Amino acid sequence: MVETADRIAAVGRPGLTTRVRRVEGAPVVAVRLWLNAGTRVESIPGQGLLTGRMLEEGTRRRDWRRIAADAEGRGMELSSFGAFEGHGVNVDALAPDWELALEWAAELVREPSFPEDRCAWLGKQAAAELEGLADQPDVKSAWGFLEHLYTPHPRCRPVLGDVASLRTVTAADCAGLHRTALAGGVIAAVAGVIDEDAFERRLERLFGDLPPRAQPFPPPAAPAGLPERRHQVKVESEDQAHLYVGHLTVPRRHPDYTALELVAVILGSGAGLTGRIPTRIREREGLAYTAHAQTVAGAGEDPGRLVAYVATAPATAGQAEKGVVEEIARLAGDGIGDHELEEARSYLLGVEPFRRETARQWAEILLEAEQYGLPLDDPQRRAADLRALDRRACEAAARRHLRPADLRVTIGLPG
Amino acid sequence: MSYQSLASSGAASAAAAAVAAFPGGSCIPGRRQFARLANGLTVCVLENRQAPVVTTALCLRAGTRDDPPGHGGAAHFLEHMMFKGSARFGPGEIDRRTQALGGSNNAFTSHDATTYYFSFAADRWTEALAIEADRMASLTLDPRQVASERQVIREEIAMYDSEPWDALEVAVQARLYRGHPYGRPVLGTRGELRATGREELATFQRRFYRPDNAVLVVAGEASEETVLGEVERTLGALPPGAEQRAGASAVAWPEGMARLRRRKGEVPRLLLALAAPAGDHPDHALLRLLAALLGSGRSSRLYRALVDEGQLCSWIHTDLTEGLEASHLSIAAEVVPGVEPARVEGELLGLLAELVGTRPGLEEVERARQVALADWVLHHERVEQQALSLAVALALFDAEHLDRQMRRLLAASPAALHEAAGRYLRPELGSVLGWSLPRS
Repeated sequence: MVETADRIAAVGRPGLTTRVRRVEGAPVVAVRLWLNAGTRVESIPGQGLLTGRMLEEGTRRRDWRRIAADAEGRGMELSSFGAFEGHGVNVDALAPDWELALEWAAELVREPSFPEDRCAWLGKQAAAELEGLADQPDVKSAWGFLEHLYTPHPRCRPVLGDVASLRTVTAADCAGLHRTALAGGVIAAVAGVIDEDAFERRLERLFGDLPPRAQPFPPPAAPAGLPERRHQVKVESEDQAHLYVGHLTVPRRHPDYTALELVAVILGSGAGLTGRIPTRIREREGLAYTAHAQTVAGAGEDPGRLVAYVATAPATAGQAEKGVVEEIARLAGDGIGDHELEEARSYLLGVEPFRRETARQWAEILLEAEQYGLPLDDPQRRAADLRALDRRACEAAARRHLRPADLRVTIGLPG
Repeated sequence: MSYQSLASSGAASAAAAAVAAFPGGSCIPGRRQFARLANGLTVCVLENRQAPVVTTALCLRAGTRDDPPGHGGAAHFLEHMMFKGSARFGPGEIDRRTQALGGSNNAFTSHDATTYYFSFAADRWTEALAIEADRMASLTLDPRQVASERQVIREEIAMYDSEPWDALEVAVQARLYRGHPYGRPVLGTRGELRATGREELATFQRRFYRPDNAVLVVAGEASEETVLGEVERTLGALPPGAEQRAGASAVAWPEGMARLRRRKGEVPRLLLALAAPAGDHPDHALLRLLAALLGSGRSSRLYRALVDEGQLCSWIHTDLTEGLEASHLSIAAEVVPGVEPARVEGELLGLLAELVGTRPGLEEVERARQVALADWVLHHERVEQQALSLAVALALFDAEHLDRQMRRLLAASPAALHEAAGRYLRPELGSVLGWSLPRS
């Protein structure tokens, strides 16, 4: 039964899991359909990305031109995507169009035609995007950091794949990955002003025949990282070095995840230029315009990462690296202050209303919760989780997961 | 004319969608009240209870165009320094206080204005006003902090110089507005930065950071009575006396299509900037619709011809600035490696000429209108964005500006669009075509 009014509900079907939230007054309805197959399980680099993008390139009923024209004619933003862990369809429509949004999203997922000529173009387009991104020194350095930490796990490469492999992905490869992914089930997350009864009936008609969920993909190779502690990437940059320091931490479901979110705020992911790393690197030493830190960046089925990023002059990169490493070591070794913890907790509690302002934000929250089998992510539960953590618990999590001796350094330098 | 009457007149089917999307009769949702304090501060309360949050946006009519000669970047430098210490809030304290209250803050400088904003949960937003009042009245400008922040901005300049699109955009804008303040880089140059210190920043603040030169918007879950009481209590004592902004000379657009070529990266990038009127000109709304028709969505002319069908570019994007004195419509494209840049240029100019030469059909115009409307709605769902758009509109134009331009967009006929295309989409009338070409 789909719950109505101001409630979050989960609805199960054999091959479909749905989370829906009615967001009163929202001018937009957001529909997200997600299949658990992306870069993480692809056999050719770039296959997951292209599989997702191919969904809007044609269905049994319409070609890509018609799909785009129909959506845009209704003022709808309809897009298909391939991401690291999955692929699928997003639709954001003006509220009165919610049924059409769901109908068209389902059409793209259930009836894609995978035209070969479009696959060839999308591969070429993705290769061009990849080369364009490689011109950006921060992006190229970030790719180097992922390679440094995750090799041979698929997270070690861009979701876009590589130029050579993108040429080899065929429409049949995409169709195959999508077909296998469907056997793993579909997650639907919908938020907005919707008629719940009509919604349930529509879902039954669109997805009721999906088979029960299976686990169609073997897990990927475990991340090991490159053997060297330091890794250098050559970038085309005007007098600026891009410094990434960190190591792997925990996956999304890990019990220390929330404690590490608090630790991240203390280290440098909070408001403005707060946190130990931005305060030291930018405010105190004036070394950088950009300096921040995360502890669980990219955490999903596989481990996320501790990462501190600083863009600074090559001449001061050594000083910045020293500062970052010392701050991480100080946090892991000396612990945190009560006041720091209270500020970090207050920050995470305070930003909650901003995470849930729009139907689109709600749809993303619902999707993430379902994807990782998390409890329904309502504000009360989030507040209780954050309040349950005291200084000792956070320090223990920091000691377990911040390991100064294991830090890897990737630096993008002009060359 | 209201959105309702626009829809009833059958002007456009998008107008009917606008009636549903703007149930309160305005493209910014919520109930608006205006007040002016005795010291000249304009206050707008946008009561909107969609979420338990409040954003305060303080917009000052002072920007890069007001930088004193030889001290380019002063407006932006001062924006940074507004976070570096005042009587009650020492260096870094504004961010720490914001974090402790679970909020966010930021600021941005444009050629026409500088805007500061805070977003907090609805039960603690008044701290934003205390911070704004304190730094308006008693900014410290400690020379050590000035020196440290100068270095930070040098790194910001290096970041922009390194990013191929940012670097191209700065170069194109400098050429398009040559001789006009809009052509200056917001961050200034490294040399100007060196020449700018405490004195220049203090003078800039004294001249322009006055309540009678500012607009404050408080948006979200807060009542008019509470807001006005708090604003009077915290900002009511600030002394007026803003200096009159110097009038800018008229823009001398390039004669014909000026060309600019740079070498950077491995991918060819094209940026065409076309002269456009000021943000409050009636034609500006038509140009916004033309920008959507050309480049918003996969069915748009340029996207279809250059990306999806022509397969010459990996993406294209159109944009329209909204300046107080003048604006520009830009078309950006990243070219697929191996494709001859001259071919892309030829195709692009041909497509513009086609639009200038032939009136677009109603169906195409309606699609563009729907896309433009949806873009607006999606972009303005959050209270913070509502507050920022309103603050800038109030500071530079007037309270009706946003709805007036939206109604013009919804009412524009294909014939009116065609005429506007003839006035603005001809590069020979004044434009800059910039190329960033591969080094190799």
